[in-house]
Amino acid sequence: MDGRGFMFPVDTAIGKNGRIHTVSRAYAPATAQLRITMYDIDSEYFGIYGGYGESLGQFRWPTGMASDHIGNIYVSDELNNRINVFSHEGEPIKYWGDPGSSEGELNGPSGIAFDSDGDLFVADHMNNRIQKFTKDGNFILSFGDKGQDTLKMPWGVFVTSGGFVYVADWGNDRIAKYDSSGEFIRSFGSRGSGNGQFRNPSGVAVDEDGYIYVTDWGNERLEILDENGNFIQSLRGQATISKWADEYFDGNYEEAEPRSRSNLEPSPVQFGGDPHEESAHIEKLFWGPTSVKLDDEGRVYVTESNRHRVQIYEKAE
Amino acid sequence: MVSTSSDVKLMAHLLRRAGFGATKEQLDQYISTGYEGVVDSLIDNEDSSRINNALVRRYFPDQSVTHDTSGAGSYWLYRLVSTDSPLREKIALFWHNVFATGYTKVTNGKPMSDQLRMFRSNGFGKLDKLLLKLSRDPAMIIWLDNVDNHNGAINENYGRELLELFSMGVGNYSEDDIKECSRAFTGWSIANSDYIKQLAVRNSIMPYGKLAWRYEYKEDDHDDGEKTFLGHKGNFDGEEIINIICEQPATARFISRHLYHFFVADEPPVPSWPYKEPQDLEAISILERAYFDSGYDIGEMIRVLFNSEFFKSETCHYKKIKSPAELASNVLRTTEEFGTPNIRISERNSQITFMGQQLLNPPSVEGWHQGLEWIETGSLTERVNFASQHLGDLSKPGVKKIVQNVMNDEGESISAEVCVDKCLDQLGAIQTSQFIYDTLVEFAQATGIPSINLLKDRENAANKISELMSVVASVPEFQQS
Repeated sequence: MDGRGFMFPVDTAIGKNGRIHTVSRAYAPATAQLRITMYDIDSEYFGIYGGYGESLGQFRWPTGMASDHIGNIYVSDELNNRINVFSHEGEPIKYWGDPGSSEGELNGPSGIAFDSDGDLFVADHMNNRIQKFTKDGNFILSFGDKGQDTLKMPWGVFVTSGGFVYVADWGNDRIAKYDSSGEFIRSFGSRGSGNGQFRNPSGVAVDEDGYIYVTDWGNERLEILDENGNFIQSLRGQATISKWADEYFDGNYEEAEPRSRSNLEPSPVQFGGDPHEESAHIEKLFWGPTSVKLDDEGRVYVTESNRHRVQIYEKAE
Repeated sequence: MVSTSSDVKLMAHLLRRAGFGATKEQLDQYISTGYEGVVDSLIDNEDSSRINNALVRRYFPDQSVTHDTSGAGSYWLYRLVSTDSPLREKIALFWHNVFATGYTKVTNGKPMSDQLRMFRSNGFGKLDKLLLKLSRDPAMIIWLDNVDNHNGAINENYGRELLELFSMGVGNYSEDDIKECSRAFTGWSIANSDYIKQLAVRNSIMPYGKLAWRYEYKEDDHDDGEKTFLGHKGNFDGEEIINIICEQPATARFISRHLYHFFVADEPPVPSWPYKEPQDLEAISILERAYFDSGYDIGEMIRVLFNSEFFKSETCHYKKIKSPAELASNVLRTTEEFGTPNIRISERNSQITFMGQQLLNPPSVEGWHQGLEWIETGSLTERVNFASQHLGDLSKPGVKKIVQNVMNDEGESISAEVCVDKCLDQLGAIQTSQFIYDTLVEFAQATGIPSINLLKDRENAANKISELMSVVASVPEFQQS
């Protein structure tokens, strides 16, 4: 399927020259809508690439995205157990990865992130570990699945310029921090919906000031912590109408008119404190926030699978 | 043919009707609890499932929002195959058929899934409370047009079906009662109704996916005037109408007959009920008494039903034909194919549709006609192929376990008769006719199972036994419950 818009997007990569790439996971049987969409901060649309399948340039359960230093786009595929590589323009280059649980093999590669040396960290979620590869897929090391504080179905991963690895430890409701050699340093958070707590966090990113951004998927929010894990702020989402949606309504008065008379922000009290239900009913809220990414301009990108959109925030001074 | 104790036969019967069958391993556990204890636990257990929502939502974002009928149906299928509270899913299936609501008009999976969730929570409760929830259910409000039922301009659709198909049945009320009933439900609507109706008609997902729906009472659109309903006079609203409905003997009979039809034995299709007496009047009377004695409590009616002689009697064992959803759930629970969420769930959901039952999309407000109507040439082929293919697939963990259990403790060889006995036993103490049994033994002989050395050629034996399992899956007694 061609055209603008997303269908159950799960991650976003900030590519070269401000180009943004968002991958839509779509769903069976609507696999034709599985694709990567290219656009920029002004909603300029540059086309789509990728598709459903097992051949070069295709994937079945795309999950994580990352851009390397030359702008190539890497996409993990949880079902094909591989990493796909595309050019900045979306041309397929290659894929790598073999299924299994031995070192260097993959079982459900989810979040991915490059370090400053150009090596790729992969949340190998069904193997409950993080693996580090060269960008061409040569195994370097793995960690997180042995000893104390082991990971449980990790999803998002992020590597700071200093080489620290942060992991959204989905099954353990926490953020885990490792050094560049995979030694566990500490973790942040516990299960819950209070400040600094998480329910199945999906994504993590850290800015140059050390602030930690977490898509707290089960609580349908973005949490911001300081470098020591102290709670700073929580955002539930405040989406507005995008340029693409605005143009849709310009041509669809039948929907635009009754919408203008509707209350899309009902009181959340009636939903019994269930954030999933609140987000289902209140359109502006995050619903299914699956990843958080940062750009060099201080913007924060939250990809929301259930609302088929990306909310972009400016970092406050 | 080995003789099975009556306790085991009865427990297997209960688990086929109150759940989705049980393997020998599960039956052994249930038998240690005792029959009445199992009945109580099936009714009173909290809702729980082996595969939790978060796990499903992680892999299938569409099932998180139950975007359309495919996602919503697949999401329900996970529940059916992984629930620890099988009767709770069974009661959801029951009410889904009685209060049939279809995706074709609703065009939004979440309200459909929300309705099912309401059935799980209230399906064992008091009928008046359930009907109240149903009357405020957004999917039902769209499905039967109560959103267009206004003060001074009634739409009778919901009022009519509430009396005809949801509570009393034709012949127990007048056309005037329908009108008065409809007046009482004016203003029972949904929030943002004009917008929601547009989105539903256009099946639109713009701009940010489908919105969830919520009930909204529009006081200024409610007809608060005096009404006369079933001989009662007053300024009734919907809640008071429901209370009057639940007091009616016709309602007690209607619900009793539905429960008997679903759990005990096939009654004729609902439209013929006004003209045909129940086949077992005494059983219906027992259920009617339970209805009034318990204050319209469905759970108590079901408890009485399962503990009654008319349910336990061997004359009704294997007399019902499993619905496609029941058959598929039985098979998939046995094969243990879905230990965790996987992409094949959507395919399995489609296979249920091919057998004649698209979950969340019944053919009309009457639901599916059951019994023999599940069987026609095409659907029978699909049913047999589905059960045979999956129960004969050694790569499935549940099948592998059963085949190992058949071979265990048999030494070097197993006779055809013992092999058939053990396969039937492993699949839930299935009792077949002598003819079917002899045919299965003949098949086991023909595959050469008795001549295989179980100690030296275990893989070959396992393959042959799995072939036998696929044949067992096709016999009438497996397709029935």
